Formats: sequence, structure tokens, C-alpha cells
Amino acid sequence: MAFNILVVDDSETVRAVVKKTLDIAGVPVKTLFQAENGLKGLEILRTEWVDLVLADINMPVMGGVAMVEEIKSDTDLAGIPVVIISTEGSATRIQQLRDKGISGFLRKPFTPEDLKKLVEELLGKADTHG
Amino acid sequence: MNIVIGISEMRVSRNPEEVLVTFALGSCVGLTLFDPSTGIGGLIHAMLPLSKIDPVKAANNPYMFVDTGVPALMQTLFDLGAQKKHLIAKVAGASTIMDDKGIFNIGERNHTVLRKVLWKNNILIAGEDVGGNSPRTVYLHMNTGKTILKMAGQEREL
Repeated sequence: MAFNILVVDDSETVRAVVKKTLDIAGVPVKTLFQAENGLKGLEILRTEWVDLVLADINMPVMGGVAMVEEIKSDTDLAGIPVVIISTEGSATRIQQLRDKGISGFLRKPFTPEDLKKLVEELLGKADTHG
Repeated sequence: MNIVIGISEMRVSRNPEEVLVTFALGSCVGLTLFDPSTGIGGLIHAMLPLSKIDPVKAANNPYMFVDTGVPALMQTLFDLGAQKKHLIAKVAGASTIMDDKGIFNIGERNHTVLRKVLWKNNILIAGEDVGGNSPRTVYLHMNTGKTILKMAGQEREL
């Protein structure tokens, strides 16, 4: 099966790196949705089927933390795994995010290999190839 | 049978009886590439990051430099029949040996350029052991495709 993945980051470069990494890691992606802030991410989540969200914290309009709170308080969306990708990586901060219900955390700068590992863990390695 | 790869050298193989090995990787970087679908693989022991410091040497021996040696290794593998989408990349070396004060950062630069070359060629690193200040020996077993790292008297698969 192929997955629908949403990348929420105000940096076009980060979104491009995520896209290329998923591609060369062989993660079967049906549609890669992209949003530059949390609000646009939520709009996509409410209209499209998404299997996994990769989100930054610091973004204009709506940041990643507020977006996670919205996702987890919405019964239709609460089950979607969210991975935070951010430079804000203190243990306290990560724990706060885990308490809010995130499924994973990746510190920037990250390597494509780190991202591949995390996505495979969440989506199941058996469903990926390459 | 061991096939020894020296500094600034590269070898490829499709013979399951061969083991490609390179000894004493310091700030140099070693890369193994193996295609399990064809049993074709290779190993390079590159010394310096960028060929622009000596294009004449690079033309004579591209394997001295990461930016010319790695693409040349890949092309040799493709010519033998290996497929890029199947290549498994393992990396070792890039230590601070002989550069304790980090003046030249050769190891780190070798690693950075290697990552860039692989990324540009759509290859992710499946395993690596880099940095520190111990020499490393790397074996590519052609019968299994496994890359074995030997360091400080201990062996493990990368």
C-alpha cells in the first residue's frame, strides 16, 4: 500500500529534502501534501486522507504545537501520527510534545537517514521497499 | 581471497569468493557499495574531499578524491550491471587522526563531501562509523554483501 503524507514546514527547502528522502528511501508515497503553516496543514487534514504528518514547530500563522493540539482534540484526526521536526529539542520540550500526543521527534539538522528510519518505524518497514 | 585496496584506490568485484578490504582508514573515507540483486560491489579508499586542489592528479587517479572517486566507482559498478536503486552504501573513516587540533578537518570534510555526492545520486547511507581518532579496517564480503568494520580490536557489521 502507498501512504499519504503531509509535510508542514515554512521552509520550502526542508519540504524538498523530505520529499526527496521519502522518494529515495523507497517509502511508498501516494500523495505528498505540503503546507507552510499549521492552519493550512489543518485544512488539508480536514479534506484529505492523511496517514502521517511531519511538522515543524516554529511557523508563521499557526505553529506546530498549536496544530498538534488541534489535531489531538479533533476525534476525526486524533489517530493520525504526528512527527515533529524542529531545532527546539530540549528533553523537556520533547516530553511536553509527547504528552500532547506526538508519535516521534526529529531534531534539525537531521540526516535523510534519520528521517527514513523514523518514517519506516511509524509506517512499518514491511510496507516499504528499497 | 582478500583483495587489498590501498589509499586512493578502488576495486569492484562480482566474485563471491572475494573479500575486498582496506586497512588503516584514518581521515580518509572508505565507502562500500553493494547491489544484492546482482552480487556486484565495490570499495573505495579516498584520501581527500575535492579534486579541485589538484585536477591533474585527479585526472590520473580519480580515486584519490571523494568527489571524483565515488562517481567513478559508481559508474564502474553500473558498467558491470549493478543497479543504482539496489545499491547499499556503508561508510567508515573520516577520523581526526594526524589532525588532533582539527586544523584541516580533512576527515569531516571527506565525510561531508561524500554525503553530498551520495545525496546527489539519490543514495542514502545504510550504515556508517565515522569520526573519532582510531584507525579503521573495512571488509566487503562479496558472498553476503556484508560490510564488516574492524576497529580497536573489535569487529562488527556496519
